[in-house]
Amino acid sequence: MITEVAVIAVDGGELPLGGGLLALVRPALDQLQPGGILAVLSKSRAVREDLASWCRAQRHEYLGAEETADGSDRHLISRGRFSVPLNPHAEKSGLESHEGRLTAAEVLKVAPMPSYADPISGFAPRGAQVEPGGPSYPFTLNERDRVAPAEVAVLYDQAVSAQWDATADIPWSKVKPLPADLERALIQVMTFLAENELSALYLPSRFIAKIHPAYAEVAMFLATQLADEARHIDVFLKRARLCGRGLGISSVTTSRSLLSLLQIEDFTEAAFLLSVLGEGTFLDLLSFIERHAPDEATAELIRRARNDESRHVHFGLAHVRAGLAADPNLYGRLESAVRKRAATLHGINGVPAPLQDALTILAAGSTQARAVAKGHDAFRELLETMHLNRVRRLGNAGFTPAQAQIISELHTPNFM
Amino acid sequence: MSNDKSILLGAVAYDPKVVTIWEGIREHFQSEGVPMDFALFSNYERQVQELLKGHIDIAWNTPLAHVRVRQRTNGESISLGMRDSDRDFHAKVIVRQGAGISSLKDLEGKTVAVGSSDSTQARILPLYFLAQEGVDLSRVNVVTFDTDPGKHGDTGTSEIDVLRALHEGQADAGTLGDLVWVNEQAAGHVDSARVEVLWTTPGFDHCMFDAHPQLSPEKIEAFKRALFAMSWENPKHRRLLELEGLREWLPPREDGYRSLEAALKTK
Repeated sequence: MITEVAVIAVDGGELPLGGGLLALVRPALDQLQPGGILAVLSKSRAVREDLASWCRAQRHEYLGAEETADGSDRHLISRGRFSVPLNPHAEKSGLESHEGRLTAAEVLKVAPMPSYADPISGFAPRGAQVEPGGPSYPFTLNERDRVAPAEVAVLYDQAVSAQWDATADIPWSKVKPLPADLERALIQVMTFLAENELSALYLPSRFIAKIHPAYAEVAMFLATQLADEARHIDVFLKRARLCGRGLGISSVTTSRSLLSLLQIEDFTEAAFLLSVLGEGTFLDLLSFIERHAPDEATAELIRRARNDESRHVHFGLAHVRAGLAADPNLYGRLESAVRKRAATLHGINGVPAPLQDALTILAAGSTQARAVAKGHDAFRELLETMHLNRVRRLGNAGFTPAQAQIISELHTPNFM
Repeated sequence: MSNDKSILLGAVAYDPKVVTIWEGIREHFQSEGVPMDFALFSNYERQVQELLKGHIDIAWNTPLAHVRVRQRTNGESISLGMRDSDRDFHAKVIVRQGAGISSLKDLEGKTVAVGSSDSTQARILPLYFLAQEGVDLSRVNVVTFDTDPGKHGDTGTSEIDVLRALHEGQADAGTLGDLVWVNEQAAGHVDSARVEVLWTTPGFDHCMFDAHPQLSPEKIEAFKRALFAMSWENPKHRRLLELEGLREWLPPREDGYRSLEAALKTK
């Protein structure tokens, strides 16, 4: 129990209670512990009548008044126990900018995230003085270890400065007509990418509303992720439509795979399946497309999308690593989530055919048989690279080589 | 008195929120293992009658109703509890700036607006205390805002009417309860350049839970246990306490009704 009794004084001059005095009295009382004393200097005769009544209404104790040497009244109020309590975790140091920059990472140092967040604090920003007795909010993601990896602020800072403009930052004017077969392949690839990125836009948005605002940086990072996905969908579809042949095929394999992703209820499982496995696999896919891009604009938009995706993978890995460190049972849960998803995709054999063919032709650069053979080899090599990198990433997340092997092999043939 | 196990409480429906309040309190009582139901009356006179007949077990009473119950049961009714805000109530005499009133005696010959004729804080006690202070009420032009008769001033409408009459210059002075006066000021609804407080009456107590003299000790204990378990820090309770205008329930005390008893005798 804190017994420290502070004394504060305010000078109300001739202000009546209802004429501004409370704007001095109320904030001064808010700085005191219950039982702390506020002295109110006043020259108003009406305040003599009203201050005690106001104290009664607000459950502060009015201790009386005495006349000072200059003829003012000196009223004494003891702060009541029903007001907003002082914050026991009040920030000790102020925020400082470095070389003109002020990052979210610096904010995190001053206002660290609590290990548990009370749903009663609602949308109160972390560090605010919360009045007790408020309603409970439906924030179910309220444990730091399950929501907020330490890296989130740095990743948010990077994401904010890495935003780009889908309208003007791609050298759209350098897009030239391609041979029809190559154009069709490119359209198919872009259609596939946009469809998958749409799922990556929708899935994290399902969890943002469940994240306790004490971990707002996570919601803010996910907001950048959503903005990234929106931009990717935009550029992929623009590139496809520049060919003037409409869009490609959306296959049932892709549709089933993405629905099984969208239906995941657990945030960490979603981060694992979407960001670590799905977007992780997409990094290799995007590298492949950039390498075989038919023009500078396509290469540029793919390169930019890949940069963004690698941030998402980084966040997903950090999220899963932190979760695994806090809860060893998570390994089993994640493996079982992968198995469950694989079971719903049972019977799907291999990459959706329209995509496989498009990637082969894109890598071939033409429809000549010899080139196509090379394209086919490149595609097979891509699958192997994806698998090896998934195993490596799973190792980074904390899985054993054997677990990593199994999980990678169970991953959806749709890549996402 | 009801023979079943649940307590039947009476309250006056002076506002639609009364239903919300007692539905919520009933739910809380049930969670405490105390079955309770409530009956709503349109006025305190009828509520007091039904309590005395034993048709209800407990009545949530205004000070006027409480004093009547005490008198008509020869002090045998059982007081169970009150709001923290019911203790040390005061009435205020408010004056219009420029009305030439700087002392209570100046009220003579002036128009004084008062609240409902059955409002303890806005009419009965302030007029009683003014007479005690030597104001000759026969020389005061008393204008009564007699809204919501039977509700004993619960709605506060007549107090707001008094304030409006002062602001609009229809009266030179007015009487109302301290809570309405400071809350209206705190909300910025009072123009300090036009009206100000002149005097605060001595304190008095307000509402009370009155139990029928023959209510069983088990029901009395169960009622008190559930009532005093309500907490301002509990979000569900807090909403109800806010609506009922308190932060915590307190044990009863009788001394705060002496002035009202005296005022009723002089009538």
